[in-house]
Amino acid sequence: MSGPGVVYVVDDDPSFRTALTRMLTATGLSVQSYASAGELLKHLSNDEDTPGPGCVLADLCMPGLDGLQLQEACTEASVGLPFVFLTGQGDVPSAVSAMRQGAVDFLDKCAPQHTLLAAVGRALERDADARALRARHEQLGRRFAALTEREREVLEEVVHGKMNKQIAAVLGIHERTVKLHRSAITSKLGVRSVAELTTLVSQAGLFEVPRQPCP
Amino acid sequence: MSLVTTLWSMEAAAALTLAVLYGVVWIVDRRTLANLTLCVVAIAMAGAARTEVGMMHAGTVAEYADWVRLCYLPLTLALVGQVVFVDQYLGTGRRWLLWTIISLRLAILAGNFLTYPAFAWRALVSLRHVPFLGEQVAVIGAVELSPLQWLSVASNVLIIFFVADAALRLWRRGSAEEQRRALVAGGGVGVPLVVTIIYAQSVMLGVAPLPLLVTPSFLITMIVMAVELSRGFLLYRQTQQELEELRSELTRAGRVTALGQLATALAHELSQPLGAILRNAEAAEIHLNSPAPDLEELRAIVSDIRKDDRRAGDVIEQMRALIKRRTLEMNPLALNELVQDVMSLVHSDAVARHVALDCVVAPGLPLVSGDRVHLSQVLLNLVMNGMDAIQTSPGSNKRVLIEARPQEEGKVEVAVTDSGPGVPPEVIARVFDPFYTTKSGGLGMGLPISRTIIEAHGGRLWAERAPSGRGLTFRFTLSEAQGAAS
Repeated sequence: MSGPGVVYVVDDDPSFRTALTRMLTATGLSVQSYASAGELLKHLSNDEDTPGPGCVLADLCMPGLDGLQLQEACTEASVGLPFVFLTGQGDVPSAVSAMRQGAVDFLDKCAPQHTLLAAVGRALERDADARALRARHEQLGRRFAALTEREREVLEEVVHGKMNKQIAAVLGIHERTVKLHRSAITSKLGVRSVAELTTLVSQAGLFEVPRQPCP
Repeated sequence: MSLVTTLWSMEAAAALTLAVLYGVVWIVDRRTLANLTLCVVAIAMAGAARTEVGMMHAGTVAEYADWVRLCYLPLTLALVGQVVFVDQYLGTGRRWLLWTIISLRLAILAGNFLTYPAFAWRALVSLRHVPFLGEQVAVIGAVELSPLQWLSVASNVLIIFFVADAALRLWRRGSAEEQRRALVAGGGVGVPLVVTIIYAQSVMLGVAPLPLLVTPSFLITMIVMAVELSRGFLLYRQTQQELEELRSELTRAGRVTALGQLATALAHELSQPLGAILRNAEAAEIHLNSPAPDLEELRAIVSDIRKDDRRAGDVIEQMRALIKRRTLEMNPLALNELVQDVMSLVHSDAVARHVALDCVVAPGLPLVSGDRVHLSQVLLNLVMNGMDAIQTSPGSNKRVLIEARPQEEGKVEVAVTDSGPGVPPEVIARVFDPFYTTKSGGLGMGLPISRTIIEAHGGRLWAERAPSGRGLTFRFTLSEAQGAAS
């Protein structure tokens, strides 16, 4: 199976919940089951830090909060867990609404095992990818945070393809100072070439960051 | 006794018999005005017959004139009766023409009694006697007609036009039955009328020295009317039988419709145990493929599979029992089980519609005597109605409550209350009418069928405003099972 993660099963029907948990556990997944949306939300909010990797496998039709409302509540609480919905009846409007809110899949309760496992796998993968992306952004953010204001100004001009002489003119500093700033930037960010620098800046999505101090 | 007296008396007697018959029919069933028109025409026939005999046997000019004057009354009744019959029977007559004719004829009648000897007659000069049916009868010798007599003729022409026009319009609609009716009215009412007018004009204008008669041709009209109207009675029995069959079909259709509404809910109800069985089987497979299968786990799985299979079977059994067409099978029933059955059937639907479904069954309730399937159907229908009623109101407190409690001795009362917006009293009065519905997709048969079922159980089903003042309560009573205690 794909990467590690907890499958949060939410279903009000005890016998279906038990059977589903049993099957997923037997395939080697780590499963936690809840009888209602409220129980899961309580568990997620009780966690000291943000919940670990995983996905939610929820019944669409439940008393109290239903599956879609649970998804909304999770989105509001910025719990970025991907959702897979299970339903006893093919309800097109609910399916559309679920997918629009970013559900990974929408399956019949009697869907074949491989379809269900594939959907759970995709959901876990999506969560892992999202987590990796978030981690990379955070890491890049930390690296860029080490730059001084002047270094950011120089960086912005550099990624715009300006020569040292031009940069010196724009910023009103000596060309040698520009060179010093550039070597500080490359060492702080751990890059060796201008191309690498540009890639990093675009990955971090930080083009706007150096602009802010000098409007 | 003279032949004239005999024949005309028979005619009057026959007409009066018909008048009584159709008068009674109309009093019993006021919806068919045509029956009343036949009654009126028949009375007019009897009256006209009397005045005709009076004229024929008149000894003096004054006596003859008095009968002529009097004969306007039955004549007016007969003509008005005929046009109203045509209007009712064909349904295609021009209303303004109908009212013009009626007013004109009433005006002529009033004018008749304000003038002497009669409306159209300035003076009756002399009589003469001619042989008629083996005797000498009095006929007009010389008469001075007033120009107003053409008004009378005009009104009759209007009547003929009205009848012909209504018949033609119906004929053009084209169906066989409509064309038949058009022919009957045109031929049975229109033609005798034309004959009568031509004959009466010829007599009055002195062209033919014959008695002034209208009843022979109107007799044809009356017979045609009677035959046509009696078709309704002949069809009645057949209709009655068809209605009975239809009603029994509808009872079943009502059940199927109720199930149609539940179809999605039932699909959900079945998908739970079926899904559970599938997942359990998959889990068992994985365990069996492992080098050391966990037998404890496998045993638990098999036991759960068996349990879920029974659960699915129960759902199907309930559904099948509801669809089957069957007669009442009275058995002692525990009401709380019945309520639980219905609660489990509508559970998913209630969840999906965010309705809280509660039940309060008084403890120690005696068993009731009833048919489990039919009573489930009634309860199901009432609960579904309740949920529909809530659906239309955006209120947050959506609740349907089922209560069962003992009533006076030997009776148990069941109540289904919704927290919906309620309905005005005039609607409460109509909810049990067949085909009355406030729902867009409703057939309007659920409640009438439910009432039929409860009444077949010897109970009563009625609706009233909920005790809380909001929503509607349906109550029905059932009898305690004989010699059984819960």
